Amino acid sequence: MWNYSFRRLLATLPTLLAVITVCYLLLHLTPGGPFDSERKVSAVVLANLQAKYHLDQPLWKQYLYYLNDLLHGDLGASFRYEDWTVNQLVSKALPISALIGGGSIVIALIIGVFLGIVAALRQNSKIDYLVMLMGNLGHALPTFVIGPILVLIFAIWLKWFPAGGWDNFAPRYIVLPMALLVFLNVATIGRVMRGSMIEVLHSNFIRTARAKGLPMRTIITRHALKPALLPVVSLIGPMAISSITTAIITESIFSIPGLGKLISNGAANRDYTLVLGLVVLVTVVTVLFNLLVDLAYALLDPNIRY
Amino acid sequence: MSMPSFTKTALVGAILMGFALAASAATVPAGVKLHDKQEMTRNNGSEPETLDPALAEGVPANNIIRDLFEGLTATNGAGTTVPGVAESWKQTNDTTWVFTLRKNAKWSNGDAVTAEDFIYGIRRFVDPKTASQYASTYGIFIANGKEVVEGKVPPTELGIKALDKYTLEIKTPYPVSFIPELMSNLQLGPVHKATIEKFGKEWTKPGNIVGNGAFTLADWQVNSKIVLAKSAQYWDAKNVQLTKFTYLPVEDGNNDVKLFESGENDFVYQLPPGTYEKYKAQYPKEIHNSPMLGLRYYSYQTTDPLLKDVRVRKALSMVIDRNILAEKVTADGQVPAYSVIVGGTKGANVTTYDWASWPMDKRVAEAKKLLADAGVAAGTKVKFSYNTSEYHKKMAIFAASEWKTKLGLDTEMEAMEFKVLIKNRNDKNFQIARNGWIADYNDATSFIALVQCNNDQNNHNYCNPKAEALVEQGNKTKDPAKRAELLTQAVKINMEDYPILPLLQYTVPRLIKSYVGGYTATNSMDRYRGKEFYIIKH
Repeated sequence: MWNYSFRRLLATLPTLLAVITVCYLLLHLTPGGPFDSERKVSAVVLANLQAKYHLDQPLWKQYLYYLNDLLHGDLGASFRYEDWTVNQLVSKALPISALIGGGSIVIALIIGVFLGIVAALRQNSKIDYLVMLMGNLGHALPTFVIGPILVLIFAIWLKWFPAGGWDNFAPRYIVLPMALLVFLNVATIGRVMRGSMIEVLHSNFIRTARAKGLPMRTIITRHALKPALLPVVSLIGPMAISSITTAIITESIFSIPGLGKLISNGAANRDYTLVLGLVVLVTVVTVLFNLLVDLAYALLDPNIRY
Repeated sequence: MSMPSFTKTALVGAILMGFALAASAATVPAGVKLHDKQEMTRNNGSEPETLDPALAEGVPANNIIRDLFEGLTATNGAGTTVPGVAESWKQTNDTTWVFTLRKNAKWSNGDAVTAEDFIYGIRRFVDPKTASQYASTYGIFIANGKEVVEGKVPPTELGIKALDKYTLEIKTPYPVSFIPELMSNLQLGPVHKATIEKFGKEWTKPGNIVGNGAFTLADWQVNSKIVLAKSAQYWDAKNVQLTKFTYLPVEDGNNDVKLFESGENDFVYQLPPGTYEKYKAQYPKEIHNSPMLGLRYYSYQTTDPLLKDVRVRKALSMVIDRNILAEKVTADGQVPAYSVIVGGTKGANVTTYDWASWPMDKRVAEAKKLLADAGVAAGTKVKFSYNTSEYHKKMAIFAASEWKTKLGLDTEMEAMEFKVLIKNRNDKNFQIARNGWIADYNDATSFIALVQCNNDQNNHNYCNPKAEALVEQGNKTKDPAKRAELLTQAVKINMEDYPILPLLQYTVPRLIKSYVGGYTATNSMDRYRGKEFYIIKH
């Protein structure tokens, strides 16, 4: 397994390089540069600014500078946030996004799996309809609709939580954005788990287990849960990755200083190094999550071996 | 300059002397009881790009820097220039100003603020190595500043020197009457040399930064908040009421209002477009809307085959009903504008067009005639570029509708991302483009720059040497009234050439909690310092 993991990670290097190269070119080809602002910068100052960031060099040279810095773990200086390096910005934003995005997936996984199982066991009951309704709502209502509704009810009317903002991981700022993401993820996980569990419960080996007189709890925990979890596990990888893109909207609604905020600001400001740094990060996270999902598959399904 | 001439000028200068005005701070009116907790939160619109005064460009950065640092002068809550570190100043001849620094001004680490700190700060600012985007805007008002900014002479050649530890002399290339006001910009302020040398790029971080303002940097959570604490070392600390002043970087206006409503924010940066009337009715005691020195306008490309004819540019300008635009379209209390200079600007009078007072029918008839004379037929297409924003889109649709219904001209609307629009404007690659300008200092020249020959801000390929000569003549004139007359004449000439289409003067519609004291409606630069605010008992 270690060999497999190592080979998988090694194989991602060309992918990473390709992603960086394409993004690098796209960013530089997009009209408007980091120093284009309402106040036109004088030619002399512009020349100095460009020299400061190597932008006066040919593109291929700039690219090599960037790769060299990257190899040394340096994501470069931010063009927009002049007092911070990209490393500093990412190290500040990443834990916030990881907590909100990752934490909400973990909570949603626990609740979603539980609700999915209950709904599957009580098919066509009230609780089943409730889980289905929640699933449908979660799919039908976008983040930018549910988010402001949560703010209106819990921040403006009830004043239980702040309408947004962030303060050094203070719990009161975490509840609403996390609740929003938990709701959306539970909707997906619950529906998938329900369908998967129903399918497993109708399979022959479960029928055999029932015929042998095993109690339902044992059948679920020992026999049905593992295979029923496989489709849910497949979901987690893309869910974790999409949590970064969802974060752009969520973090905007709740004014959270996470990666989503950096990505949207970075792109708008033509902050080349910041955007590239985040692209590198997202690519690495994607690779790691896909690898983890594959490894989790092996744990859940004895037929799979690496 | 010969000695007799200098003596004469010095005498005149003495008359124009700046007096040691009473330092302005949070003036708590009699009878107002202060709240036990003097803490305030203000939304600042976005994350500052830097807290380094020399590199600061945007309004958010300058707002915070104004609390962390203090220049020779400052702007008080009412928008008046008041003493800062300098307790007095005088103009000793046409091109020389002498500032006397107060001896009790301290850096936050307890060091004394001296003339050398200003020299270091200003030289660093104009040094091409610093690559400050404002260097060519402010630096040119100091003798040799232009040459230093362009890298032709070293920063040590800048016209600024210490006469002693607490006396600073500033020489200007020509009489610059607004030097005291200009020096309130912190780009021209002091910085603590030892701190910069010790920490390098990290010098602006909490724990490192040393400032001389009313507040110190307590916490900086990027894209989340910047928390300032009252500085015990500040010379006027006894008149600073706030103990904690928090800046939020919320960009979305709707989020900003939600934070206000939920009690997380005391001071909305700016209301979202089109919501002013709604919030005026909802929060009558907390709504504010003050005019500021800013102009919304459209830029004409004056070398464009269609627009090179001034009659076409004039016709397009004449038929836009600014009253409807202000009252019905933008609907946030802005004032119609007919000149490059807006109301409240010092140094020149606001000019207007004769036709501005005509009934619209007469304006349309005249505009049609102008187009006919220029050989422009109905159905001719004009291309309008604007950045993707609902606000600008609404304005653009209105303008296109005016041109279509009144003149029969078609408009091709080109919506683009902000950076793309700016790039196109700077490259002069547009026919008509959305534009806007906020004054950097309260003097007519801050606006005149938009239509001056070879000015970086002039995107219009426009130049009128006659107007240029008048501006130059005005800038060399030491009599403020005469200067204003010359500059007004120059603006009139410029505006008769129609290089731009002025539309509206900015206002700042915002909500401020009724328990926040110290906010005025007269601060046309919209520059407030934390030291002006106080929290009323509630």
